Amino acid sequence: MPQKFYHDDPEWADIEPIAQDDGPHPLAAIAYTDEYSEAMGYLRAAMAKNEFSERVLGLTEHIIGLNAAHYTVWLYRAKTLETLNADLKQEIAWLNPTALSHLKNYQIWHHRQTIIEKLGSPEGESDFISTMLEQDTKNYHVWSYRQWLVQRFGLYTEEELNWTESMIEEDVRNNSAWNHRWFLVFGVPRDGREVDEYTVQREIAYVQEAIRKAPQNQSPWNYLRGIFKQTKRSTEDLKTFALEFANVNKPDDIFSSHALDVLADIYAEEQKKDEAKKALDLLATKFDPIRANYWNYRKVLLDQPEVAA
Amino acid sequence: MASAQDPTSQTPSSRLEETLSTSARVEELSDSDYEEMETLTRHEEANQAYLKSITSPIEDLLDTASSEVQDETLRAVMPFLIGNPNDFDLNSYGLPTLQREKHVKFLKQSLGPFPPQFAAMDASRPWVVYWCMQGLTALGQDISEYSDRVVSTFSSAQHPEGGFGGGHGQLPHLAATYAAILSLVIVGTEEAYASINRQTMYSYLGRMKQVDGGFTMSPNGEEDIRGAFCALVALSLLNLPLELPPDAPARQHGLTSFLDNLGEWVSRCQTYEGGISAAPGNEAHGAYAFCGLGCLSIMGPPKDTINKWLDVPALINWLNSRQSCPEGGFHGRGNKLVDGCYSHWVGGCWALVEAAAGKGIWNRAALGRYILSAAQFKKGGLVDKPGKRPDAYHTCYNLAGLSWAQYDWKYEKSEGERGELDAPYHWQLDGEYTEDVVWDNGDMVNRVHPVFVVPFGKAESCRKWFEEQTWSSKGTG
Repeated sequence: MPQKFYHDDPEWADIEPIAQDDGPHPLAAIAYTDEYSEAMGYLRAAMAKNEFSERVLGLTEHIIGLNAAHYTVWLYRAKTLETLNADLKQEIAWLNPTALSHLKNYQIWHHRQTIIEKLGSPEGESDFISTMLEQDTKNYHVWSYRQWLVQRFGLYTEEELNWTESMIEEDVRNNSAWNHRWFLVFGVPRDGREVDEYTVQREIAYVQEAIRKAPQNQSPWNYLRGIFKQTKRSTEDLKTFALEFANVNKPDDIFSSHALDVLADIYAEEQKKDEAKKALDLLATKFDPIRANYWNYRKVLLDQPEVAA
Repeated sequence: MASAQDPTSQTPSSRLEETLSTSARVEELSDSDYEEMETLTRHEEANQAYLKSITSPIEDLLDTASSEVQDETLRAVMPFLIGNPNDFDLNSYGLPTLQREKHVKFLKQSLGPFPPQFAAMDASRPWVVYWCMQGLTALGQDISEYSDRVVSTFSSAQHPEGGFGGGHGQLPHLAATYAAILSLVIVGTEEAYASINRQTMYSYLGRMKQVDGGFTMSPNGEEDIRGAFCALVALSLLNLPLELPPDAPARQHGLTSFLDNLGEWVSRCQTYEGGISAAPGNEAHGAYAFCGLGCLSIMGPPKDTINKWLDVPALINWLNSRQSCPEGGFHGRGNKLVDGCYSHWVGGCWALVEAAAGKGIWNRAALGRYILSAAQFKKGGLVDKPGKRPDAYHTCYNLAGLSWAQYDWKYEKSEGERGELDAPYHWQLDGEYTEDVVWDNGDMVNRVHPVFVVPFGKAESCRKWFEEQTWSSKGTG
């Protein structure tokens, strides 16, 4: 891209740029290019006089092209767009390729959220997010943005659930996809959402099938345990299921350390301390020895009912 | 057991077996003489035996994108856990010694100046200064030669309306504010403390407070749990009032204190997995877990606040699951890869959790192994994982992680209040960790404050200085 300067641009002749003042011998100083340095000088000057204009939009676009991780420039751009009552669809059209070329950037997502909030419509957003996630299936900012979008526009739909399911089908170990599913079905922690029995049964069946594909995958186990905890149901079914993968009396026939963990919890609840200890011992000595300290701590808790409760 | 494949047919883990037989070991030994080879072999054998002893025999056969990148990671990490590809001196446990001088040199270089292609760092310069100052002090360096420069660097980043930005003319941001304050706390001179404008800071923090209890990072910026933690760090260290400033927008909705709805908000960030997310509904994540626990540990004694606002057994289960096996280092989320920065983000959660739930819950030795064996870069600086380049961020947080492994902490609420948000000034060293250690005296780093992540003692001095200043919300200094 050709360099762009402002000092000989008649459109900017009225602006006296403000040079960066870092004091003497600054630490972590950057030898900026002349182009970046000058553009920032004009932005500081525009910000100092609270200018929100078309030319400021051009200037912020220019600087974002040079440094997309510059939150100040994004925030000032958002305010300029708002003040000018600018065409926000055009802004989204510009943002799409910008986001794709800066996958790890996080200011972009907050900016996008601000724009979509103002536009008041989620149209096209799900597709765009899916494109982003194809590049980076566990991108935290993209998933968080999707959660915001669902919440803001009430997109708790069959379509959203199916899409999430396709992400899980693609990689049953994608914990971000499991979290999104939880968010869709069970909502935000402590918001007291009621989930009907049909849905709960559907979720239990779905997650159990996922566990059978790879029993040592913790993501669906956490989901399954979460369901039992959230809906406060009897753990009898959970126990039956976990026993498919681990039996504390058959230590040569154990297929999942997470099943042992679940069993240890349930036995503790049932006051079957010896069985719980067997599960924890198997974890500490053979099936998850790197966490031996933790499993032994859980054993100690078994004998302190007031703490374990 | 319909479709679960039998994992016992591959005992011990085929991944481990595969890596044990790679050529890295042979190359390592190729130009050593017989006596050295004997020594190396003994260490390698010991390391192999250790790795087998902590590896679970269970492994699923199903391949997905997650297991593929995990296998790749193991191929990169294992040669470092077994042998010594960097040719470092070994300590008495047969692991690489802490490469102190090389890391010091690396951090000093990381203070700049930087060439033009580093422009992307323009908004993160306060972080770079903090990571370098914290890293250098963890390594036992006297940083007084930088004192004046730290103060002058940040004075131009302080915003006229309060808080610090990434640099001159940038909008205030709570991450920059956090990094700037901590850097000035590490410098610890009166000049450094006095350079912070408490009055405008107070007003800025008031503008960040949200009705739901959380904090935004910047004006009209994102609201996440970093905001809550960074704001409380500032309020506590600068001994600011808890009462919201008169012009705080949240006041219009009936809030009167910085702490209003905050415990509830943090609590809503704990997910069904037991970990803590950036904001309610997001995925549990190691770095946000530290922010959440740090925030609660400033609000009050961890035993009270953590137990009050979080499901602690679920939290401990989740935190423990973050230790990668057999790597020993931590990852940030379920089914993600080990990364040296989580040596701190997850490792740092333990002192806070142990103060709330009891000690001896996690594996310090395994973390120490990962940091010493796999996270030290040949030419200095520490890394995410072998094959990655070092940077100040990974250097700072691996070294902090080493400190969490090496020291025990206790929280003792003494008699007498020191004012608002004084909870984080009651930590005491509970000695060095001595069981199953894998480091010698020469590998020890300095003590780090469990909440503030600055040299222990520095936060206390800062708070004390501000307690002695008279407060006026309309004052000038």
